[in-house]
Amino acid sequence: MTKWKIYTPEGVQDILANECFFKRNLEDKIRKVFRSSGFYEVETPIVEFYDAFLAEDGITAQETMFKFFDQQGRILVLRPEITIPIARLAATKFKDVSHQLRFSYIGNTFNYKELGGGKQKEFTQAGVELLGINSPEADAEIIATAIKAVKVSGLENFQIDIGQVDFFKGLMEETGLSAEETEQMRVLIDRKDYLAVEELVKTHNIREDLKELVLSLPRLFGSLDVIDSVEKYSLNKKSINALENLRRVLRILDDYGLSKYVSIDLGMVQNLNYYTGIIFRGFTYGAGFPILSGGRYDKLVEKFGKVSPATGFSLGINMIMIALERQKIESEKPSIDSLISYKDEGRMIAFKVCEALREQGLVVELDVTRSEMVDLKQYAITKGIGGIINIVDEQCIEVHNIEKNETSTVTIDELLGR
Amino acid sequence: MRYLTIALSKGRLTELSVELFEAIGLDCTELKGSSRKLILTDEKNKIKFFLAKPSDVPTYVEYGAADLGIVGKDTLLEEGRHLYEVLNLGFAACRMVVAGPAELQGKLDQFNNKRVATKYPRIAREYFEHKRRESIEVIKLNGSVELAPLVGLSEVIVDLVESGRTLKENGLVVLDHIADISARMVVNRVSMKMESERINNIVDGIRKEIEKR
Repeated sequence: MTKWKIYTPEGVQDILANECFFKRNLEDKIRKVFRSSGFYEVETPIVEFYDAFLAEDGITAQETMFKFFDQQGRILVLRPEITIPIARLAATKFKDVSHQLRFSYIGNTFNYKELGGGKQKEFTQAGVELLGINSPEADAEIIATAIKAVKVSGLENFQIDIGQVDFFKGLMEETGLSAEETEQMRVLIDRKDYLAVEELVKTHNIREDLKELVLSLPRLFGSLDVIDSVEKYSLNKKSINALENLRRVLRILDDYGLSKYVSIDLGMVQNLNYYTGIIFRGFTYGAGFPILSGGRYDKLVEKFGKVSPATGFSLGINMIMIALERQKIESEKPSIDSLISYKDEGRMIAFKVCEALREQGLVVELDVTRSEMVDLKQYAITKGIGGIINIVDEQCIEVHNIEKNETSTVTIDELLGR
Repeated sequence: MRYLTIALSKGRLTELSVELFEAIGLDCTELKGSSRKLILTDEKNKIKFFLAKPSDVPTYVEYGAADLGIVGKDTLLEEGRHLYEVLNLGFAACRMVVAGPAELQGKLDQFNNKRVATKYPRIAREYFEHKRRESIEVIKLNGSVELAPLVGLSEVIVDLVESGRTLKENGLVVLDHIADISARMVVNRVSMKMESERINNIVDGIRKEIEKR
């Protein structure tokens, strides 16, 4: 009956001290970035009703959610992401608030999708949402916050690709393709399957110049001239507005001084029902998957009862950690400066010394094993502790420097620099 | 410069892939030798090659363990991985079909509870469920799929057909066409962005090379 007790289920894992230390530091740095821009953190439950994520045009497929039942038989899920909970929260707890709302979150999410391979089923997402405003300034603010969050993690070589889904939507309206064919096209373009796009285009009666444009979509990424290159086509209002919107966001990001991180991808067309404007994704070396993604989703909050435009992004903390590791970017490790040991006579002094050193900012471990010095030294070496302070009494404190293998004797005043 | 890593399918695609890469000026000498090394390098162009089981190539590429890969469309359809499919290399061409006894010709819709034997459960399911909107029972086999309808294990099969000779000799016919299959070049989604110049050079080079043939 107990044969599984020593294992963790597939796709979830323990995080040990070094990694956990690094992860918390990373989360703290990112949290500071969010806070400093006025995105205060909220916490939503890990368990939610399945209904919240159900929407037919949601972003999480039914089969990828962890599901179970409550006592009334209603379906519960472990949250697959945190944007929808924030939309629910904003629409219900802030339904009469008319000004903009800014939220941030850092929390664990769950997704069944990945079987085997390097992706975990439990992973940490950090993100921000800006609700109540539809403006290029808001879109740029979100992208700028995303860039700051990645930079503060220590990654320098990364790229944010920005697209505008309305460009594609407008283009498809203009070609006269049905909703189903549009979806087919979207999948092919998203896959950059040039050949299949060509075949699909051939079978339809589409204006010649638009045919050419659709065929080039999978390759429409790079710098600003991507926009210039498509503006020579005669497009409908929706596509033209989308390009203008994209230009304005890029201009704002330029003023932020962030242009070097940004590039354009007009062939970025994921989740057309969910996203309603600017969308973006972040890439770096070594991760293999995007480290962040986001965009404008003006129709989502409405589903929870409040009409409100919104934009935001979420960043995969674990993906960032993988990228940092693969790019061999040094990460801080936890360390213990001193181990303090004592005999009964020195106990009260030991506690004082302990507190005084901790107040100075040192990491101090108090020995509670009362082992002999030889054993303590062995322990200190194994654990990488810098030194052992053995308190005999106020006038006699032995300081053992483990690295140098030296021992000296000092008084309490000397030790604490008084 | 970072190394670009290319995953090649072990088997009949290997030689044809090597030929293409040599044609565009990559050094594949190590690949052609009988070395037991798993990863082979072209130091001049900073490229690493490795050979993998075809069905694993999309996985290596999706996770970014390889930036590029060459693999059959059948494997891509079956694995359903998230990656860019940038080039049809044209070689190793064949068809994915539904086949069965000749008496089922035109009657595929008429019997309930179809049992479908195949090496490609995902492709079979996808085809019957999405295109024909039918539920089926998939029987996963690992080879000689044509045998299944002959011995009553299944009504029909979903399999690759090149010349159709095996089918014919066993009294089976093609009942429906699912997809045209050939070798494809695939690219990791992040690599396409981060190394777009080098990858596009390779892709364009190979495209030109194919057009020449």
